[in-house]
Amino acid sequence: MRKFKYFLDLEKEEKWLRDMAKQGYQLEDRSFGYKFRAAEPEDAVIKIDYRRFKKQEDFLEYRILFEDSGWKHIAGKKNSGAQYFQKMSEASDDDIFSDKLSKAGKYKRLSDMSMELSMCYLPLLVVLITMDMINLEVLVNPKALYFTPGLWEMTGVAFWRAFLFETPFAFFRGFAWLFIPVMMVLYLISAYKANKLYEKSKP
Amino acid sequence: MNRDKNLPLTETTYYILLVLIETAHGYRIMQKVEELSDQQVKIAAGTLYGAIENLLKQELIQSVKSEDKRRKTYVITDKGKEVLRLDFERMRHMIRITENQFGGISDEKI
Repeated sequence: MRKFKYFLDLEKEEKWLRDMAKQGYQLEDRSFGYKFRAAEPEDAVIKIDYRRFKKQEDFLEYRILFEDSGWKHIAGKKNSGAQYFQKMSEASDDDIFSDKLSKAGKYKRLSDMSMELSMCYLPLLVVLITMDMINLEVLVNPKALYFTPGLWEMTGVAFWRAFLFETPFAFFRGFAWLFIPVMMVLYLISAYKANKLYEKSKP
Repeated sequence: MNRDKNLPLTETTYYILLVLIETAHGYRIMQKVEELSDQQVKIAAGTLYGAIENLLKQELIQSVKSEDKRRKTYVITDKGKEVLRLDFERMRHMIRITENQFGGISDEKI
């Protein structure tokens, strides 16, 4: 089963995953939404860290440190950021952090990462603007986006057929670039919110 | 006198540096800190990973070759030893003046 959900507050995400496990859904993969497999319902303690790794060996060492101390790495990739752990032994503590500052640190890393991703789109936007690929005139004259010859002289069914056929292309032509600023803003909002969570949770 | 910018060390950092006078890998550090502190200080995996990363960056510890390829081992650097010694001196001074202020009364009466 696959589910799509978006969390910024990692504690809420942990709680949701715990509820899912109680209903018999075990998190299996996180690369495209949340992929669950059917399992025995259990009261699983699941904790999330946020980290990316430069080298494969660093990622391996990280997972082994957690596994040595009783936390199984259940989902997350070298570059995915979010890393999911499930408590395996009764002996280990209930959290993967033992002080408030390091617990808050994951939000700092999440915030920095969102900021970085947002800035990744900036060069693209600059290229589009300097190459004159963004035409704001179409906002007042959307007719300019339609290329069908003689479209505006047509009438009746012929007009509507040609018009509706071209509309998706015209829309794409005129507004596809909007994807970039929208992504930038979404990442900025997430960076801002994660930073607020960091400020709130640090000692 | 200007104090070293690393001082005072947190309890976690102090214990990690103290343990790393001998080489150890991550999980061994956790076990030894727990042992040395009479089970008072337990460092969780996420916290330890971040602490090791910081100490490496500040060059207070370094990683050394180990036989176990999957677990890196670490050891304190000369700079780390110096910082540990300075923090030890700082605490020794605090103990000394505290004893003076209490006027030599023994532990049981405090």
